Amino acid sequence: MIATFFLLALLQIKVPDAAQFVGQPQGRPLAGAQLEQQTMAISHELRCPVCQGLAIGDSPSIMASNMKAQVRELLERGYTEEQILSYFEKSYGQFVLLKPKFQGVNALVWILPVAVLAIGFVLVVSKAKKLEVEPVHAAAEEEPADDPYLARVREMVEKP
Amino acid sequence: MNRTVLIIGLIIVAAIVVVLFAGLGKDPQHIDSPLVGKPAPPFALKAVNTGETIDLESLRGKPVIVNFWATWCVPCYEEHPTLVANARQLPNVQFVGVVFNDTEDKINHFLAERGSAYPTLLDTNGKTAIAYGVGGVPETYFINAAGTIVAKFEGPMNTEILQENLAKAMR
Amino acid sequence: MTATFGRFLILASVLVSTTGAFIAYAAGAKRSPEGLKWSQRFAYAFAGLMVIATGVMEYALITHDFSVQYVAHVGSTQVPLWVTIVSLWSSLEGSILFWGFILGIYIAGTTWVNRNEHQEYMPFAIGTWLACGAFFSFLIAGPANPFLSVNPVPLDGPGPNPLLQNHLLMIIHPPMLYLGYVGMTIPFGFAAAALLRGRLGQSFLRPLRASLLLPWVFLTIAIMLGGWWAYEVLGWGGYWAWDPVENASLLPWLTATAALHSAIVMERRGVLKGWTVTLIQASFLLTILGTFMTRSGVFNSVHSFTQSAIGPTILIFLAAVLLFSVLLLAFRIDSLESDGRIESAVSREGMFLVNNLFFVVFTFTVLVGTVFPLVVEAIKGKQMSVGRPYFDAMVVPVGTALLFLLGVGPALPWGKTNRKEMLRALLPPMITGAIALIIGYAFGVRNALTLITLFFGGYAIHVTFAQMWLPLRQRLKKGDAFAPALIDTQLRRGRRRFGGYVVHAGAVIVFVAIAVSSTMRTQEEVTLTRGQSTTFAGYTVTFLGTEERTEPHRRSTIARFNISKNGQPVTTMEPRMNQYAAMREPVGTPDVHSTIGRDYYLSIMNIQGDQVGLLIINVPMVGWIWGAVLLMGAGGLIALIPMRRRTYVVVPESSPTIDDEAIA
Repeated sequence: MIATFFLLALLQIKVPDAAQFVGQPQGRPLAGAQLEQQTMAISHELRCPVCQGLAIGDSPSIMASNMKAQVRELLERGYTEEQILSYFEKSYGQFVLLKPKFQGVNALVWILPVAVLAIGFVLVVSKAKKLEVEPVHAAAEEEPADDPYLARVREMVEKP
Repeated sequence: MNRTVLIIGLIIVAAIVVVLFAGLGKDPQHIDSPLVGKPAPPFALKAVNTGETIDLESLRGKPVIVNFWATWCVPCYEEHPTLVANARQLPNVQFVGVVFNDTEDKINHFLAERGSAYPTLLDTNGKTAIAYGVGGVPETYFINAAGTIVAKFEGPMNTEILQENLAKAMR
Repeated sequence: MTATFGRFLILASVLVSTTGAFIAYAAGAKRSPEGLKWSQRFAYAFAGLMVIATGVMEYALITHDFSVQYVAHVGSTQVPLWVTIVSLWSSLEGSILFWGFILGIYIAGTTWVNRNEHQEYMPFAIGTWLACGAFFSFLIAGPANPFLSVNPVPLDGPGPNPLLQNHLLMIIHPPMLYLGYVGMTIPFGFAAAALLRGRLGQSFLRPLRASLLLPWVFLTIAIMLGGWWAYEVLGWGGYWAWDPVENASLLPWLTATAALHSAIVMERRGVLKGWTVTLIQASFLLTILGTFMTRSGVFNSVHSFTQSAIGPTILIFLAAVLLFSVLLLAFRIDSLESDGRIESAVSREGMFLVNNLFFVVFTFTVLVGTVFPLVVEAIKGKQMSVGRPYFDAMVVPVGTALLFLLGVGPALPWGKTNRKEMLRALLPPMITGAIALIIGYAFGVRNALTLITLFFGGYAIHVTFAQMWLPLRQRLKKGDAFAPALIDTQLRRGRRRFGGYVVHAGAVIVFVAIAVSSTMRTQEEVTLTRGQSTTFAGYTVTFLGTEERTEPHRRSTIARFNISKNGQPVTTMEPRMNQYAAMREPVGTPDVHSTIGRDYYLSIMNIQGDQVGLLIINVPMVGWIWGAVLLMGAGGLIALIPMRRRTYVVVPESSPTIDDEAIA
């Protein structure tokens, strides 16, 4: 890591850095299995811009693997998931976030299904109450066919 | 008549139709850039063809066209002549090519074969491209004299599109 | 010449379907038997025209008649015959014609099967089908006309979309999907007929249910084939990405499944008629929405047809059908409700209500997630995405709840029960659930949701099997001989019930396999130089080298790998990269080594000289999904098989419980 920076400095090369966009790392640098796991997790939340709706974690495209490498590097340097997502959001817009944020209009996409579940639940309970009456002893048995009368009918029907 | 069903139904009809209608005619492949109107992310990269290091910040004062491309990209072959021709005709505009995930050999071979009129920089791991929000190649960013991104264009460039977007950077 | 003839056929079918629709509606309004006869004739004529038109197109394709525009677009003398034949559905115009073909067959078939029955409803049903037929004929005649002439006639064409040639599944997936999608027109017509009549008699439930079940079977298989195709081709080792077009195929399936369940309550208790009809209409509307999604170019998807001008036309049709359905429901839904009732909310019928609630929430969530980016862009002008993490977070709990119901629902008795009876029904399957959980844990499952799924899955499978063989056990207890009792309870009289539980068994396996395969998969990206090996998930992968192969339509780089386990060779795998002339980016074809328990999946990421960037995925139980979905389809078919021609018997009026199920 340090060697790379040194080499870059020597060549007077400078690439845009996350620090310019989201400040200094606020987490703890990751390594090993934890790094891999977290890279994977974040890669599944970022949309691959060249593909069609796939996450960068699932895409075989070149840009996606660059983005994955960037995610890994930022994690190594101690950036938090939140910072990394916001770094990508700054250059690609909300488009890049496969999991919409719970804010503004976007919150609706999370709220609406839950609201429908709640309303539906109330409707189902009230409908069930309405349909529920005092037990009239059930005529419909699991196997109505075991009824001798029905058996007779069937016999009539199935006779060639 | 069941008024509840009618009202809820009509609301659903209206909502679905309006939303889908609004979506008609848009290109789902196009990604708006949140960087338009924002300062261009600075970079300093080595030019493969000239050997010098180009620092974006040192180019302030004239419009800059940053074209992201690669030798493995088919449509890039298509737009290259346009870029070279325009770069030769517009001395007051700085053209910069940025190539990612490529090798110097391939780039130099490409440029030797198809002409080169401006520095072509190598962005080894696509970090500059990511900072610019590049989706696929080719993609071109127009930066004005103050260093602000004014437009982004996805796909192969032609002179008309180039002029149109450059006008925004000249303003 | 061929083109002109084709155009003539299509214009004729516009005329026939429009006239037929009017006649049929008039016949329905006047209850005229003569009018019904005529509407049947028009239905057959429409089907005939569609079949001939499709035949003409196939003839033009096979004879490479490039004077026909569609052939000039997708035909090529360079491709094999089978590719030529299937290119009928490889591109937009042809696929709409194919749609018309299937619609024609469905309409004529259903009309014929019910030619002497349900006379009260049939005219309205035929009228509705022919109205849909008129729309598709119009689409073929106008915005998506495949029969335009080309002048000058080209000598050769580019051939169909390369993706079609990339994998065999791409050939059977689209027809299956169309059979499912188009088939939803039939129950829609029946539902519209019931609403127009303002009555839904007990005897009409049978055609209604059967007409829904058939496309349901096709759609079930089609969705699976789409996932399988993605798995075999897209190279990331997944089968479902919550892509808008995938969602579009799932949406009508969800509502149709809900409708099949509510229809059971409707049949047994006479309630939920209006609701079932609403679900059936929603299923049809969602197929039209799906068609719009795939063909309007509005949604970003791997599956969609590129650029087309028929989006607005389909949208107008969608709006018209939506409005028609809403008005019908608003004016007639109350007249359908009968005086049926359920006895207890905590009973099987109660569970059906909850089941329907979850299916509706599922549908709604998928729909909202799919169209939400459009809404936001329309309101705020900003782009956003709703992708897999959202759907996983929202839908997985709903799916788990459905699996829970799948176990508990059938265990609960119909009607009111006492606590003791209920516990006796609900407790024993827990043992099976616990066993499933322990087995999973022993195999290394640690994900909480997957463990829950295993428990519910074991529970549900226990209940399903117990219910599946319950009638047989009852018969055996009575001392009946095994073989006749088996055939009678499972395949003859109890066929529908048995089929239903076969579907349930398949569904349980699908749930478990999805949970296991998505949480237990491991993967690794490696770069190998020729001759180099790596060991991952028990197998040693050795890179043997690459080979270039040139075929007429593509150039492929095939990388060869030797797979061995503990030094013993297992197989050779050959993932490849295909470069098609017509496509910018190469399309990979991963290679999969499937065993009963797991799949070993190799996908090339890049090839540079002697080096290959390889993605190795080890994923358990994926193959179970395909098999289990086929089982679901088979269960649906078992429930569908008609027994014999219905014989009418005079049933004394005092016996209202005897209906089709017992007699048919």
